[in-house]
Amino acid sequence: MKAVWVYSESDAVSNEVASAAVDVAKGAGAEVQVLELGAQRPGVFASGGKLLLKGPPSSPTPGAAAEAIARAARELQPIAILTGATRTGREVASRLAAKLRIGCIAEVSKLGADGESIFGERNVFAGKAVARVSCPFPAAATVKVGAYPRLAGGNGGLQEKDVGAVSDPVKVVAREAKSAGAVDLKSAKVIVSAGRGVKKKEDLAILEELAKEMHGALGCSRPLSADLGWLPEEHHIGLTGVTVKPELYLAVGISGQLQHVAGMKDSKVVASINTDKDAPIFQASDYGVVGDLYQVVPAIRKALAARA
Amino acid sequence: MAIYSAEHRRLMEMLHPDHHREYSEVLSSLGGFMEKEILPLSPKLDAGEASIVEPRNALFEQGMTLIPFPVEHGGLGLPFSVYATAVELLGTADASVALSVEIHNAVAEGLLRFGDHRQRKKYLNAVITGKTLASFALTEPASGSDSSAMATTAEKKGGEYVINGSKMFITNAGEASLYLVFAKSKKGPSCFLLEAPRQGLKFGGDLKKLGMKGSKTAEVIFEDCRVPEENLVGEEGQGGEYAKEILHGARIVVAALNVGIAQIAYEKSVAYAKARKAFGKPVSEFQLTREKIADMKTGIGAGRLLYLYAARIKELGGDYASEASQAKVFATEMSLEACDDAIQIHGGYGYTTDDLHRHWRDARLLTIGEGTSEVLRMLISRKELARSQ
Amino acid sequence: MKVAVCVKHAVDETELKLDQGGRPVLGGAAGKMSTFDKNAVEEALRLKSKHQGEVAVFMVGTADSKKTMKEALAMGADRGVLVSADPAAIDTFRTAEVLAAAIRRSGPYDVVICSEGSSDTYSGQVPPMLGELLGVPYVGYARKIEVSGQSAKIERSLEDSVETVESPLPLAVSVVSEINEPRYPTLIQIMQAGKKPIEELAADAVAPAGGYRQVSVPSMSSQPSTRKHVMIEGTPEEAAAKLVDALVKEGVLK
Repeated sequence: MKAVWVYSESDAVSNEVASAAVDVAKGAGAEVQVLELGAQRPGVFASGGKLLLKGPPSSPTPGAAAEAIARAARELQPIAILTGATRTGREVASRLAAKLRIGCIAEVSKLGADGESIFGERNVFAGKAVARVSCPFPAAATVKVGAYPRLAGGNGGLQEKDVGAVSDPVKVVAREAKSAGAVDLKSAKVIVSAGRGVKKKEDLAILEELAKEMHGALGCSRPLSADLGWLPEEHHIGLTGVTVKPELYLAVGISGQLQHVAGMKDSKVVASINTDKDAPIFQASDYGVVGDLYQVVPAIRKALAARA
Repeated sequence: MAIYSAEHRRLMEMLHPDHHREYSEVLSSLGGFMEKEILPLSPKLDAGEASIVEPRNALFEQGMTLIPFPVEHGGLGLPFSVYATAVELLGTADASVALSVEIHNAVAEGLLRFGDHRQRKKYLNAVITGKTLASFALTEPASGSDSSAMATTAEKKGGEYVINGSKMFITNAGEASLYLVFAKSKKGPSCFLLEAPRQGLKFGGDLKKLGMKGSKTAEVIFEDCRVPEENLVGEEGQGGEYAKEILHGARIVVAALNVGIAQIAYEKSVAYAKARKAFGKPVSEFQLTREKIADMKTGIGAGRLLYLYAARIKELGGDYASEASQAKVFATEMSLEACDDAIQIHGGYGYTTDDLHRHWRDARLLTIGEGTSEVLRMLISRKELARSQ
Repeated sequence: MKVAVCVKHAVDETELKLDQGGRPVLGGAAGKMSTFDKNAVEEALRLKSKHQGEVAVFMVGTADSKKTMKEALAMGADRGVLVSADPAAIDTFRTAEVLAAAIRRSGPYDVVICSEGSSDTYSGQVPPMLGELLGVPYVGYARKIEVSGQSAKIERSLEDSVETVESPLPLAVSVVSEINEPRYPTLIQIMQAGKKPIEELAADAVAPAGGYRQVSVPSMSSQPSTRKHVMIEGTPEEAAAKLVDALVKEGVLK
């Protein structure tokens, strides 16, 4: 039977991508197979079944993962290979596409398929437009992270396939988690996000307090992490940073460049504070306050305290 | 918003069909630089929270001041219309930096045209590369554009001139290390190059201005200030003519600067009008702004064409004194009106927000500085009446 | 050291207009060097200044995208190779295929640098594809590159961790924008860039197309804003109180 393969280096993302794969498989009359590399991963579920590729190490580099999957794909001929659009997932999918000379649709959600092609939707031009993209089978795809629920359960059987040893000339010599105690912006219900309007690093403290009082996390726009280095880069929300969709996104002193908005536009409610009433952030907001954050933020904290 | 817009590009194409691509590359890169490095600093310059030194030096490093000067002196050898456009862009990014740079470059223009070989060699490259900041000292406490009423004197003593008197409202005063000074000698108004610091050269305190707050303006005072005779520029007694010539060119640039100010006021007004519409405010409010938007846009377009016309005549070697003055009178008055309209469009916000009324405050200077509108109207009418004979 | 850097003449998303049906108007849309590509060029120039050698710029584009190539040359690259094709009409694989062929033709290079993705479509596919097609080791999302002798030590910035990897040269690498602050070319450099050589090649001549079916883009549309756009007025205290009330009513603040 025709198969749609799912691979991600992360169990959580793998289960999301599996949900997307179910939609593709339905349209194409195929089944979903979730790949495991090197060793079994109990955290990964699949309705169609799992395919364990033996040969690569259990946490392979993207290069080794792509090589192992390509070897199996040449023989088993899946109609599509889906990865998560994480940094590693993009690399694996792109390498696979190049190895197999197939097309790869990128950053897609709302995936589907007919008998011939896979299709989906993606943001382009920093979120200014949505493109429908399509590619004839066989094809690869990177699935937008956070766009699908995690597939739970499934009881397909486990198949094994020996692809032989793979190696990557790129050797990992060290791995370090990004700053300890880093925020998990992706799961935060409330995000207070700081921008250029914050005058000095020390002033971030009041926003951090505000975030705490709102039971949320602190994020920032690109200049604060990349140019000024006031916050570690995992706080950076935007096209090249983290994409978030909290219940409440409070943008403080953020002008609202397209690249920033691309990272937060799926938030349920957006509120913003900016001194510049023409700031584009107001176009992306449900509630806007034109004012000095140094006056408005303390006033919000007072209002919150009065409520408690 | 791109400071160097599609309209600028189209005008370059019309003015310079053979070289417009290159000129547009230069100007669009410069515009991009200004957007990132100067524009965000502009409110801080107005509020006195940032110094002009860094942005001005950054512009020197980029090479903005090299644009109109010959390649043999280290310049880029590009047409004056390209330079004037660059000043317009800078006027949009920050008017006070534009003012400082424009006056600095007017001194370089004077050096190029009237300085001798040795003076050019010694100073010209240093000025256009920004290693030496220059200042233009003509206006006096009791006399403006009328150089015959000049009270500052230069007395020849041996191999030196001794200068006494004072100059008022001098941009870059105190900061600059080279001054182009006009003083009356026995033969009439003459022009001198003064290096600073030097004995007998003093500066008054920074004047509190309505606008253009990023730039320094002060009185320059000469007390028995001695200058070697080789620092006399051109011929003794011809200084008045030189000043006029330099100011003709500067007026084109000042016109450009004011078009730039009007442009930023216009951009803010359009954004505001659109936001009002988007936020569901009464349509009538938006309708009222429409006439103003149309007038602003028309004025900006006309001002731009006028200064580019004058610049093109200058490039081609024609007499552009009247056209330069027309451009300046029109553009400065137009920009003042545009900035006034911008305040009106923004309503209470306009009157209470530094970031908006500063454009009006900046624009307000230049119907006065470098030839008042009144004096220039006289110049234009005199020229045109003579032409029509 | 010979460094190849790939750049894209991207649609300037800030200038992009939408038509009445909300579709982006791509014909005649303003273009610019893809924002993050400036970081790639900067890193190439830094490698050159540290290890001597040359920097060649590769780009797939049409004649009117040459200004992006010239911008890279103005920043300090030595020469350019422009493969003519409309980047909007070919997909990522085909782009990587012609770039790889052009690089191989004028190479070999010690390091091939790309940015992590383009500012207009941001697929992030061309760099790893290029590594594959060139048959060299590939490292993505570098935030620091140190080359010594015939190997490179690179910090890869991932979502939640930083990996330090080692790779032999030659290699291909993509960089994140945190890696450096790109320089502005001076006006003199811009004028001189016009004199630097740009080799122009036809895509089909460097890599014949075929044997492969492309990704297509059947339609594009804009997302209408569904935001409420309520501007809250008043003193900071009044505005803050109103905002908190509104957010509580929305059920997003407890």
